[in-house]
Amino acid sequence: MLFHDVVIVGGGLTGLMAACEAPPGLDVALFSKIYPTRSHSGAAQGGFNAALGEDDSVEAHIFDTVKGGDYLGDQDAVEVLCSEGPEVIRSLDRMGVPWSRRPDGRPAQRSLGGAGFPRACYAADISGHVVLHTLYERALAAGVRLYPEWHLVEILIEEGALAGLLLYHLATGRLEVVRCRVALLAAGGYGRIFQKTTNGHSNTGDGTAVAYRAGAVLADMEFVQFHPTTLTGSNILISEAARGEGGYLRNAAGERFMDRYAPQKMELAPRDVVSRSIFQEIKEGRGLDGGSVNLDLTHLGREKILRQLPQITELAHRYAAVDPVREPIPIEPAQHYSMGGIRVNLDCETTIPGLLAAGETANVSVHGANRLGGNSLLETVVFGRRAGRHLGKAAAGRPLPPPPRASLADALGRWQANFSAGPRHPDDSAAAIRDALNRTMTDKVGVFRTGEELGEAMAELAALRTRYDALRLSPGERPFNTELIEHLELGCLLELGEITAGAAFRRTESRGAHYRLDHPHRDDARWLHHTLARRGADGRAVYEAGPVSITRFPPQERGY
Amino acid sequence: MRLTLNISRFDPQTDANPAPQAYPVDWERHETVLDLLIRARQQDPSLAFRRSCRSGICGSCAVQIGDRSRLACQTLVREVAADGDILSIGPLRGFRQLRDLVADMDPFFAALNRVVPWVITLPDHAGLVSPEDAARIESPATCILCGVCDAELPPAGSATPAALVKNLRLAVDPRDALGAQRLKLAGLTAAGMRTFRELLPSLCPKGIKLPVVGE
Ligand SMILES: Cc1cc2nc3c(=O)[nH]c(=O)nc-3n(C[C@H](O)[C@H](O)[C@H](O)COP(=O)(O)OP(=O)(O)OC[C@H]3O[C@@H](n4cnc5c(N)ncnc54)[C@H](O)[C@@H]3O)c2cc1C
Ligand code: SF4
Ligand code: FES
Repeated sequence: MLFHDVVIVGGGLTGLMAACEAPPGLDVALFSKIYPTRSHSGAAQGGFNAALGEDDSVEAHIFDTVKGGDYLGDQDAVEVLCSEGPEVIRSLDRMGVPWSRRPDGRPAQRSLGGAGFPRACYAADISGHVVLHTLYERALAAGVRLYPEWHLVEILIEEGALAGLLLYHLATGRLEVVRCRVALLAAGGYGRIFQKTTNGHSNTGDGTAVAYRAGAVLADMEFVQFHPTTLTGSNILISEAARGEGGYLRNAAGERFMDRYAPQKMELAPRDVVSRSIFQEIKEGRGLDGGSVNLDLTHLGREKILRQLPQITELAHRYAAVDPVREPIPIEPAQHYSMGGIRVNLDCETTIPGLLAAGETANVSVHGANRLGGNSLLETVVFGRRAGRHLGKAAAGRPLPPPPRASLADALGRWQANFSAGPRHPDDSAAAIRDALNRTMTDKVGVFRTGEELGEAMAELAALRTRYDALRLSPGERPFNTELIEHLELGCLLELGEITAGAAFRRTESRGAHYRLDHPHRDDARWLHHTLARRGADGRAVYEAGPVSITRFPPQERGY
Repeated sequence: MRLTLNISRFDPQTDANPAPQAYPVDWERHETVLDLLIRARQQDPSLAFRRSCRSGICGSCAVQIGDRSRLACQTLVREVAADGDILSIGPLRGFRQLRDLVADMDPFFAALNRVVPWVITLPDHAGLVSPEDAARIESPATCILCGVCDAELPPAGSATPAALVKNLRLAVDPRDALGAQRLKLAGLTAAGMRTFRELLPSLCPKGIKLPVVGE
């Protein structure tokens, strides 16, 4: 049994920022299933939005974000995001972030999709990496207690409130109870429910799924962002920065087809619009072999490509055998970002007393139905900071709960049920179930959806769940039991896949990233609300509507 | 095409010593060593290794492949083996083997502390950094803390190789109060530094080119 006043789960940008911003003297421990510097935040390429430029304004950033999110974002939260942005960027600068610079020494900014201005602060095309490493350095400086390679298994609840956490320590193979006054989940997204995704292997949504099982409310799980430009096959991201720097999308005939779909913003229309346009081109027979289109950078010239997009050049070269200086890059859309997550308020509090959440794992609803490029990295640091600052107050307001008893006994029962001394399920495996889940999600819960296919997906996922429940692992507390970790992750993926499909089935309109071929229009009269999902007594999701905060910008038609 | 991965297996709860185990796997021209490890794990779920980003940016998958340490996800199979070959894979050289391909990274991360691994921001710094200064930070700031240099190179002065890279990245940062004085923290001769700077780019998965500081 371990105890700390505050426990943060997740060592990406959100978790590290919260740890750095927690009041000095507070006993903060940060647990992460991989070393913090391995977090997927480090893969982010494009940049962090903030209205710093003379010709830009916080107001414009708010408007772009609300419109980009197809009016589903909570405008009070968007206002916090955009107005705290500039200050947070400046404070990252003081912490030592090596931004790319303008000639006068200020951080350079570039255009990303859906923005009216060059608004994203960046470091070449490794923006997430440099900030992740800087925050890791600051966490060392602040003396944060780090527990790397500890895997959150369950959140223990007694009398409806947080009583502790159950974590598996990879190095010893042991399960430990961690007691705390308050916990912050910053465990990232769950792109790995899809077969085609830009997300790394560890993005399995454990925080979201575990909180849901503990009784937290999830929101807007049907809204999944598909990024237009990922390397065909491996789905490694080619950042929007490539288009922000001036790259073109071309079909097999070499046409810049975006003029048919978004004549004003062209390649820099929001991602939902661009992804659908690409699929439309492919569907109408203007794609390359194997269902791709081309991302063409060749006209930018060698020097600009190598200076501004070095990582992308390397990725295209290594993983697609293409030299972007001389030839176009074949790309296809793939899952990229989870707008849905644990419903939280502006202080990052979930519906469970003592439990906070922030970052991609959460839904404070700044992105609404579609996130703009550069806004998620901003969310991690703005809401990571808010969560961190709120932790002191939250911890002071809550005594250490007594050691968990009934909840712990239940959790240990569920833990034991994963194992069996007898033979394993002979002709089934976690890998096979995961593969089937991934395929169902990409084929039937993807960019274009229909009620019929979503219904099929729900039935398929339910059947996969039954198969999963029959799987058994060999017993024993073994160090680095990665088979066990993948088993636990699969359970989370299945849970979140089911809710994503269920929420998408329910929403009979098209809004932002959620596009229903059988309901192709936005329907504000019936659907201008959040989809809230709660775990019912029978273990199935119960959905209801939640209000959207609309403060300044009444919904309008969204044209680009 | 097909080849055999000869993977070092070790479970501290049952094994006295590590022993290689052969995994025959199919492969295609565009695949990486990580793709093959994932395939081997499908045959045998008990095989343990680390991975996350699969695109050379998280630093998880550093292992010894053939005769030297590399990132599994960044190494194309065709760069290190041919059809029918036997390819041996082990944990990072010189690191304690915790299990199979999993090396103990705690000492590696702890060694960073030797060099005060953060910018000690000058209180009066205005927050402006010239593009020229930013350019000097750029290459060492791409370090992903993968451990390959520590596995392949001897300690450089009193700092481990990766800690030295961090130290130099900080030493050229105009916001840092220690600046060039950081070199003293590394306790390295000018000749030692030169050798290190020459050796690093070819081994480091990020090809890091170190800035020249105070020589
Ligand atoms: C390839 C790529 C590029 C992107 N580029 C951009 C961009 O340019 N601009 C932008 O705004 N956004 C971008 N995004 C989105 C953005 O990077 C992410 O939304 C953001 O980094 C998420 O940060 P996070 O801190 O919430 O989670 P993560 O960085 O994913 O961190 C999650 C943490 O939780 C831990 N964790 C997870 N499960 C458990 C568990 N069970 N137990 C313990 N710990 C656990 C992990 O170890 C990890 O430390 C990009 C995303 C991808 C995939
Ligand atoms: S310097 Fe290169 S080899 Fe060494 S840890 Fe950093 S990225 Fe890895
Ligand atoms: S898996 Fe991230 S560097 Fe290889």
